[in-house]
Amino acid sequence: MGAGAIKQFQKRWQQSKYLEGLLYAVGFGGFLYLSTHNIFYGILGLLVALGIAFWFLKPWKISSENAVGYIDAHVPQAGFSSGLLLSTGNELSDLSKLQQYRVASQLEPVLSKLRPPHNLFKATLAMFGLILIGLAGSFMLTKFGNPSGGNSSNTEQITFAPKDSLSTTVETPQLIETNIAIQYPSYTRKGTSNTTNPNIKAVEGSRIIWNLEFDGDVKEVEMDLMGERIGFTKTQESYRLTKTLEASGFYSFTFKDLDGNDYVSDLYSLEMVTDEPPMVQIEGLDNYTYFEFDDDKRLMLMTNISDDFGIDDAYIIATVSKGSGESVKFREETVRFDRAIPKGNKRIQLQQPLDLDALKMDPGDELYFYVEALDQKTPTPNIARSETYFAVIRDTITDEFTVEGNLGVDLMPDYFRSQRQLIIDTEKLIADRPNISEKDFKFRSNELGFDQKQLRLKYGQFMGDETEMQAAPGQVSSTENEGDDDDHAGEEGEEDLLDGYSHKHDSENEHNLVEEHDHESEAQEEEEDPLHNYVHNHSDPEASTLFEKSLKAKLRDALSIMWDAELHLRLYEPEKSLPYQYDALKIIQDIKNSARIYVHRIGFDPPPIKEENRLSGDIEDIENYNKKEEFEYQMSFASTREAIALLELLTQDEKQFNNEDSALFVAAGNELAQKAISDPFTYLKVLQGLRDLEKVANRTKENYKEVQKNLLEVLPEAEDNPMKKAGYQDEINLLYLKELTIYE
Amino acid sequence: MSDGSVFINQNLLWPVILVGLVLWGVFIWKEWSQRKERRFWVKLVAAFLAIVSLVMIVVRPSTLQKSTSGKGIVLTEGYRPAQLDSLKSIYKRIQIEEYTKGTPLSILKDVDSLFLLGQGLAPFDVWRLQDKPIAFMGGKKIEGWTTISHENKIPFREKLHLNAKHSNPKTGHWAILADNGGNPLDSVPFEEVDEQLIQLNAKPKASGQFIYRLLEKNDEGEIISNEPLPVQVVDGKPLKILMVNTFPTFETKYLKNFLTDKGHQVMARTQLTKGKYKFEYFNGASNPIYGFTEENLKEYDLLVIDTDSYIALGRSSKEAMEEAMRIHGLGVFIQPNESLFRLTQRLSPFQFNRDFITEITLGVPVQSAQKYPFEFKNDVRTQKIMIDSVQVAAYVPMEKGKIGATVLQNTYQLVLDGSEAMYANIWTQILKSITKEQEQKIAWKAITETPRINEPFEFEVRTSMNGIEVATDEGVHIPLIQNSLVPSKWKGVKYPRKSGWNTIKVSNDTVSKFSYFVFDKNQRKSITLSERLKTNYWEFGAQKDFKRIASSSHKELEPISPIWFYMILLLFLGWLWLEPKLDN
Repeated sequence: MGAGAIKQFQKRWQQSKYLEGLLYAVGFGGFLYLSTHNIFYGILGLLVALGIAFWFLKPWKISSENAVGYIDAHVPQAGFSSGLLLSTGNELSDLSKLQQYRVASQLEPVLSKLRPPHNLFKATLAMFGLILIGLAGSFMLTKFGNPSGGNSSNTEQITFAPKDSLSTTVETPQLIETNIAIQYPSYTRKGTSNTTNPNIKAVEGSRIIWNLEFDGDVKEVEMDLMGERIGFTKTQESYRLTKTLEASGFYSFTFKDLDGNDYVSDLYSLEMVTDEPPMVQIEGLDNYTYFEFDDDKRLMLMTNISDDFGIDDAYIIATVSKGSGESVKFREETVRFDRAIPKGNKRIQLQQPLDLDALKMDPGDELYFYVEALDQKTPTPNIARSETYFAVIRDTITDEFTVEGNLGVDLMPDYFRSQRQLIIDTEKLIADRPNISEKDFKFRSNELGFDQKQLRLKYGQFMGDETEMQAAPGQVSSTENEGDDDDHAGEEGEEDLLDGYSHKHDSENEHNLVEEHDHESEAQEEEEDPLHNYVHNHSDPEASTLFEKSLKAKLRDALSIMWDAELHLRLYEPEKSLPYQYDALKIIQDIKNSARIYVHRIGFDPPPIKEENRLSGDIEDIENYNKKEEFEYQMSFASTREAIALLELLTQDEKQFNNEDSALFVAAGNELAQKAISDPFTYLKVLQGLRDLEKVANRTKENYKEVQKNLLEVLPEAEDNPMKKAGYQDEINLLYLKELTIYE
Repeated sequence: MSDGSVFINQNLLWPVILVGLVLWGVFIWKEWSQRKERRFWVKLVAAFLAIVSLVMIVVRPSTLQKSTSGKGIVLTEGYRPAQLDSLKSIYKRIQIEEYTKGTPLSILKDVDSLFLLGQGLAPFDVWRLQDKPIAFMGGKKIEGWTTISHENKIPFREKLHLNAKHSNPKTGHWAILADNGGNPLDSVPFEEVDEQLIQLNAKPKASGQFIYRLLEKNDEGEIISNEPLPVQVVDGKPLKILMVNTFPTFETKYLKNFLTDKGHQVMARTQLTKGKYKFEYFNGASNPIYGFTEENLKEYDLLVIDTDSYIALGRSSKEAMEEAMRIHGLGVFIQPNESLFRLTQRLSPFQFNRDFITEITLGVPVQSAQKYPFEFKNDVRTQKIMIDSVQVAAYVPMEKGKIGATVLQNTYQLVLDGSEAMYANIWTQILKSITKEQEQKIAWKAITETPRINEPFEFEVRTSMNGIEVATDEGVHIPLIQNSLVPSKWKGVKYPRKSGWNTIKVSNDTVSKFSYFVFDKNQRKSITLSERLKTNYWEFGAQKDFKRIASSSHKELEPISPIWFYMILLLFLGWLWLEPKLDN
């Protein structure tokens, strides 16, 4: 009998533990459900929490021993002997039996009232706490949250409002179903997306299908796309409109009910995303690649192509240019990649070796090439191309053909210019020094020194330095000049053969320059003194009359400076040589300029006109000329500016809204819409505000203020224009001004 | 009153007498047993006198005496309590009255000189104290805006200039000029100074009647104060322009294109040859002009003439031109060429100095404009025309009209360089200063700077019209006072009924309206106080002493010293105490 009571107590204890676990679980489940709004998560959370709670609390582990222990500890009447009640009578001694009986009788009334230890209150608190947190969380989420993820497409719905105030009895047709299907162009492989959000952003060329369903009777449904009205077609229950997206803009819907009341929706944006052309990049290649004649003339071309929707095709356009100057010839070739282009990939990497020999290129030829890629846009694909790269096979010989391409009049012979060329080459050599071998450097420095010498000898000719002249031709050989574009090679015997046939344009003009003479005669008459035509006294170089005295001195200076320049070049010290070269250049420039005077001296002197004949022509036939023209001047955003002033009046209750105002707001909206096309999102709020003013319900002071604020924000300043001001001329002021005017 | 106020504690008189009588009654009742004896009567008299002296101690009788201490204190808004306390400690029992706007001060009857504490009286109440010597003590330091000044009426396309002073600015706070929509246009951060002068500029984007805002924001962007700036932006009218040239130049051509594009009515005349001209009429201009007459020039607002034509003007043409300027306000702009700078004083109103500078820079981003190497010689009459604080042109007033010229050359180059805005800015600045003003018949001016509801708003009207009648919106006529020296100047007062925009109009000229803005009581508080302070200082001076010696004719009640009553009381109480003992 006592054992039964203890068993009952044990059961009660277990029950309370189960209940506790359940409370925790319900709390957690409720929290999950409220914060996610998903019953599945709620139940899952409940079950999981239940499992965890039971695992922790272990209600089934409460044995009768636990119960006995608890009773002994908490009920004094038990006398630490309640355990006896569980034993069967025959196991006990007599004393024990007596005690068992005593305890049983004493515990009987107490035990049924004894409550097992529990944390039910705490569990209940935890449950409510969790549920409250869940509630708060869901409230916060709905209020501040709504991030773009999840159900963002449902955030905005099309809402209609009557344009004019209606009597309350009129039943307004309601929009019950909106469906906007966006069919992306097939090449984007995006398929069709359905949404109810009327603010549409889609790729150019997408087809957009609006499906509107109304519960009442509706007469005509139209779309107002930037002033263009497009009607919906009725299909059974719903209205449908299909349009291909061609430009960004705004639109709104209007419909009429059977009574002829107009309803207008908010303004929604239609944003067109253009399909970007592919991006083509060539990697690991210098813009210029040079090959020597005997190199392995192969280029490895690595290309990365990416596109937002998919690449259709890619190829290399290679142009080979042969020859130079007027005889240049171009040949264009399309080189396909060896690997087939997988169509529709968003990103591909291609490799292609370019064999210059296969392109039939010879030394001196140049190759320009770039990669062109097409995307899958229809009807016309976007085409993009990479930068142009160059590959040049160096020529073994330098063709010396010194015709200046574009200067009709070449005032000075070539060798006057080459000091500058020497400087450029020397600077290049200094810059290249870290990158080239010591031998190479010395070789090039020596070469420059030779060129400097050549130049000096040329000038020496003018001075009549005959000894130097003799030495000059002998030292020049074409092989020594190789690889360096040297202007003076032209004088060499090799070229003599050509001179007979070539027609050197710039030489023709040189007869203008008295003190100069052309190369040809010089080269041909190598044996003779080239100056014999100009010099009076052959034997004395100092007496030559080629230049006036000061010029001669200058040239002498230049020559001695050139000596120094050459010296340092020969000593492989191009840095030290440079200042001398600059000095020499400066002097030569001076000489050049003084020589120019001859050219400029020739001018045109018009014959004098007789004073008495001037302005004495017959003007009888000349008539007055009249011209009349009208310009329609409209200040920028004139209506918008007017609308701002009007809104101010409306906010201050100085004026009632009327139809004229409505027209003005529409005009202002149109003005802004022009500007808004390029940037729809900035202007959407403003345009929406203006549009809202058409609805009676929105004509509140707050709205007026809001619209005015937005208008002022987007409006540019008025352009300057001198205008007539109004002013009052005070008689005292006038008196003062009159006193002030003692002019004349 | 003077009879009644013999007792200082006049209000206690009757209760005290009653209590005294009761006391005496009790005494009589106590002594009633002795009524047959003589000493009863003696005691009665003694007790009566004792009680009377008790009463006197309480009610404090006083006598009228001549007094020189007829001073009073008038407390106005913003007084310093410490100042009041120290005044009170110097002048005991000085009379104090608190001032309320528009109500008479009762204290004025009793005092002959006044201390004025606080920011002072409202300007329209100042007269109340005018015949009294006043020591104006000033009040607490005013915090916030102390001055806000700006043009109330500006032409459209021109800048609104706001000058304001803020007393005790806090660092980290900002002054912001916002438009009527609340969009910020210009701002200045506050500095750590006693009083900061703030200048803000903005170009209104529309014409109309607007309320701009001067905001003070703290570093967190909260609005600390928000003062309305009522502004009327008035759009002007297009001009009628006559351009006269001896031969066509690019400068003229571009100026002509600019003006015609902007909707002005332009008539351009270019000489083809002797006596033959090319006339171009734009935007409705008509009628060719050969020689200038006052008649044909007076309809034009602006004459643009090149230097050669100007020099070649005949005597009569020149006189006609000057007449048109003097009488009709014609503006004349001389397009310069080299010869203008060499003209003698007799021929040209301008004199120049050679400055050898051929280029000036203007605007943001900086752009350079070509200029003749001359500058205007400063002269009393020569008025500068500035762009970005660089003088580009000048004009000389000729009575109503103006004649102007520039030192800039080849400004069309700016258009070719793509800076049309700069070009427009230059020519707008130059031409608008020279061009004829449209004559108004009536000019209005508000004298009261911050009008408020039910407070006098004084305004001034200037008109050459006789007998104008001014009425409010509601059609109530306002009487005007004519100025005795300047007969065209009239003055009126109106008590506005509502805050916000109010208008006054001339009943016999419906065109001329005057709009003014009435502030409500929460707006421009600190400014009103500082204005009031200024008026009071101006009126009463800043000295803390009385200018005149107070007149001594005033009489004041002087209480009789209670020591006498104490003595009487003691005497008779002593008698009453001693008498039974003597008897025994």
